[in-house]
Amino acid sequence: MKPQRRDWLPGYLFISPAVLLFVVFVAGPLVAAFGLSLFHWDLLSTPEFAGLDNFHQLVTDSATIRAVVNTFVFAIASVVTHIGIGMLLALGVHRTMTRGTKYFVRTAYFFPFLVSWAAVALIWKYALDPTFGLVTHYLSSVGLPTTNWLASPTWALPTLIVVDWWHTIGYTFIILLAGLQTVPAQLHEAARVDGANAWWRFWSVTLPVMSPTIFFATVITFIGAFQIFDPMVIMTQGGPDGATRSIVQYTYEKGFQSFEVGYAAALSLVLFVVIMLVTGLQFRLSRRWVHS
Amino acid sequence: MKGRLLDLVLVLGGLLMIAPLVWLIVTALAEPINAFQLPPQWIPQPPSLQNFQQVPDLIPFARMAWNSLQIAVLTTAGALLTSALAAYAFSRLRFPGRDQIFSVLLAALVVPVQLTVVPIFIMMRWLHLTDTTVAIWLPALVNVFGIFFLRQYIASIPRELDEAAIMDGAGHFWILFRVILPLARPGLTALGIFVFEASWNNFFWPYIFLSSPEKMTLPVGLVSLQGAIGGGPAVVLFAAITLVVLPILVLFLIFQRSFIASIATTGLRA
Repeated sequence: MKPQRRDWLPGYLFISPAVLLFVVFVAGPLVAAFGLSLFHWDLLSTPEFAGLDNFHQLVTDSATIRAVVNTFVFAIASVVTHIGIGMLLALGVHRTMTRGTKYFVRTAYFFPFLVSWAAVALIWKYALDPTFGLVTHYLSSVGLPTTNWLASPTWALPTLIVVDWWHTIGYTFIILLAGLQTVPAQLHEAARVDGANAWWRFWSVTLPVMSPTIFFATVITFIGAFQIFDPMVIMTQGGPDGATRSIVQYTYEKGFQSFEVGYAAALSLVLFVVIMLVTGLQFRLSRRWVHS
Repeated sequence: MKGRLLDLVLVLGGLLMIAPLVWLIVTALAEPINAFQLPPQWIPQPPSLQNFQQVPDLIPFARMAWNSLQIAVLTTAGALLTSALAAYAFSRLRFPGRDQIFSVLLAALVVPVQLTVVPIFIMMRWLHLTDTTVAIWLPALVNVFGIFFLRQYIASIPRELDEAAIMDGAGHFWILFRVILPLARPGLTALGIFVFEASWNNFFWPYIFLSSPEKMTLPVGLVSLQGAIGGGPAVVLFAAITLVVLPILVLFLIFQRSFIASIATTGLRA
C-alpha cells in the first residue's frame, strides 16, 4: 500500500478547478439567491431590505399562482405521456423488424430531440398558424375541428404539450429502449415455458427489470419539464392572458424585464424547492416499485 | 401479420415525425411567392436558393454560427477537462474531506440553472461581461453531472493498471492522461456529445446574456430574426432555420450510433 499522505496534494490540486468554479458559479449564486430574495432591488438604486415581503407577494400574486399551476400541468402531462408513449415506441421497436425499418423508425423519432428548441418552436409556430399553417389545413381537410391553437386560452397549453412531444419524446424512447435491451432473454424464455402470456410476461418480467430505467426517465422528465421556458417565450410569450406562462418564464420577466430582482430570486427559489420536494418524493416512492 | 401492421403504424408515425422537417426544407427552397401555399407543395417547383442568400442581409449568420461553435467547443473541452481531473481524484486519490466534498457536489445536481442565473447575471454585469461569449461558456466549465458520470466510469476501470504505473514511478497526471482516459474514451465521447449538444442548442442562457446580434448564438439569432422580419417574408426565416438544422441532421446521420449511445449511457449511468 502506498503512503496515503502523498495523495493529498494531487487530490486537492485535481479537484481545485472544478471546486473553484463550483463555488463561484453554483454554491455562491445559490446562497446569493436566498439573500436577494430578502431585498427589493431594481439593479440600479440601493437594494432595500424587504424581509419576507417577496414571499408574501408570491402567495398573493395571482400571476405566480397561475404560472405554478401551468408548470405543474405541463410537467405532469409530460411525465405521463412521455413515459407512456416512449414505452409503447420502445416496445414496438424492440421486436423483430427489418433493419431498414428499425433504422428509419429510430431515426425519425429521435432526431427532433437534437434540434434546438428555438428552431422547433419557430417551425411549429408557423405550422400552427391559422391562415397558412399546415396543421390547420390538414385537420380541416380530414373534417376535424380546428382553431387558432396558440391564441386559445383553453388550447394553447395543451398545444405546447403536444409540440413538446415532437421535440422530447425521442429522448424518453431511446432511454427506455436501452433499458428494454437489458432485459435478459432467458427470463422471458423461462416465463414462456411456465405458460405466461405476453401481457403477463411484460408485467412480471419486463417491467420489474426495467423499473430503474423507468424511474430515471420519470425523474429526468419531471425536472426538465419543470424548467420549461423556450417554447412559451418563442411561441406564445406566455399568453393568451397568462395561460401558458411557466415559472421560469415569469422569473425571467420579473428579473430581466421589469427588474424586480428580489422577487425573481424568490420565484426561482420556488422552482428549486418544488424540484427538490418532487424529486425527493419520487425517490421515497421508488422504494415501493423500483427493483435495484 | 400483426407484426406487419404494427410496423406500418410505426413507420406512418415516423413519417409524421419528419413531416415538419420536410416542410421546413421545402419551404426554404421555394420561391417566396410559392411558399406557404395550401395545400402544401411537398416538392419545391422550381427549387431556389434565393431565400438562403437573403439570410446574411438580415442577421450576421456566419458570425452567429462562429459564436455558437466557439462556445460549444470551449464548454465541451473545458467541462471534460475539469470533470476528468475531479473524477480521477474522487475515485482514485485519498484525501481528507473527499467524500464530503463529493456529496456537496452531488447534491447540487438538483440546483436548476434558473436559480443561479439571477446572481450570475448581477456578477457578470459588475464584471462588464454581459453581452460577451465569456458569460456563456465560463459558468458552464463546471459540470457536476460530468464529474459524477466520469467518476462512475473511472471506478469501473481496474485499479491494477494504475498501480502498475505507480510502481513504474508514474505521476498522477501521466496515469490520468495515459492510462485512465484512453480507457475511458467511450465515456468521454458520450459525455462530450451530450455537453456539446446541450451547449449548441441552449437558448435560455444566451437569450438572457446576449443582446447584440454580433454576439448572439444561432438559437437566439433565429428568434431575433423572427422579430426582425415581423410581417415580412417568413421564407427567409425558414432558410435560416434550415441552415441550423441541416448540419445537425448530417452529423447525426453519420455518427448516429455515437449520438444514441451518448443519450443511452449518460442517461442510464446516472
